[in-house]
Amino acid sequence: MPRVATAGYDIDAIREQYIGRKGARKDGLYPVEHDPIRRHEHMCYGRNPLFIDPEYGRNSQYGDNIAPGVMADYFAGDGTWPSWNGGPEIPAPENEDLDVPVIGDRAINLSTTWEFLKPIRIGDRLWLQPSIADVYVKPIRLDPNAIWIIDETHFYNQDDELVAISRNTSLRHRAPEEVEADPDPLGLQAA
Amino acid sequence: MAVKLDPLPQIYFEDVSVGDELPGFSYTLDWTEMVKQVSGSQDFYAVHHDPPFAQSGGHRTIFYNTGWTRAQLYRLLADFAGAEGWVRRLHFEMRRMNMPDDTITVSGAVVAKDQTDEGNAVEIELSIANDREGVATPAQGTVLLPSRE
Repeated sequence: MPRVATAGYDIDAIREQYIGRKGARKDGLYPVEHDPIRRHEHMCYGRNPLFIDPEYGRNSQYGDNIAPGVMADYFAGDGTWPSWNGGPEIPAPENEDLDVPVIGDRAINLSTTWEFLKPIRIGDRLWLQPSIADVYVKPIRLDPNAIWIIDETHFYNQDDELVAISRNTSLRHRAPEEVEADPDPLGLQAA
Repeated sequence: MAVKLDPLPQIYFEDVSVGDELPGFSYTLDWTEMVKQVSGSQDFYAVHHDPPFAQSGGHRTIFYNTGWTRAQLYRLLADFAGAEGWVRRLHFEMRRMNMPDDTITVSGAVVAKDQTDEGNAVEIELSIANDREGVATPAQGTVLLPSRE
């Protein structure tokens, strides 16, 4: 769970502590496989034969099917089961070193930039290197003390070739009853 | 039984003009689509499938997740790139939410083309819009296309 603490929350200290911090290398649990790609394409009615037609993939310039580049994080991760058990809680952070302290336990992803550098082939073993690029407080409709986090992740294959980079902006906010009880615990609105 | 899909049509850099529209697609987010969203993304955060939980966080109901969002946008770009092209970059902003019963439309158009160090780059403005709020997810993409030369 993210570290949620209001008392003594010091955004300046947190920025100094976390911005630029790199997490540990994380290796994907499984190789790049056909079936997750098929499920991914089912989700968007994708019929791209490069991704899901084995014969077409074998005859392509890649010699096999490739994965949509946006699946790099899926294949560099360890899946949802049994790494966390579902339910209403926020998924367990993948890297405690990058577990930025926040004051709410609700999460929203906002924007992402992907760069795709190399094909991700069936059988590849991906790993990732996460880092924190920025942390700041910015009000949203739901919470005047929402904490915004920008993380950057580099994805590599088994030959240590950089295959993709993602830069994701997300925020953590409090539930409405928490905001109602104390709208501005960080004292930012009065500043 | 083997999968047998039609090959994607291949477009070449010389064939593209600023203003060209990409073939888009549209469908309604019924509850089967919600299940496909969780299956395809493996994102089990309850705000994306459990309406009471989403409401407890101040949302009207569930909203579709990041994995689903990027899949729609990437599909549009990858279909345009064809087998010989390459999706080089995708940026998207989730400004509004796509929710159950929305009919979403994924569309895009060419806004620039240039021969760069990376290749024949085509810049595309794309989006996911819904019939409730209009453009929910504006995005930009770069596709590298083969040349006829």
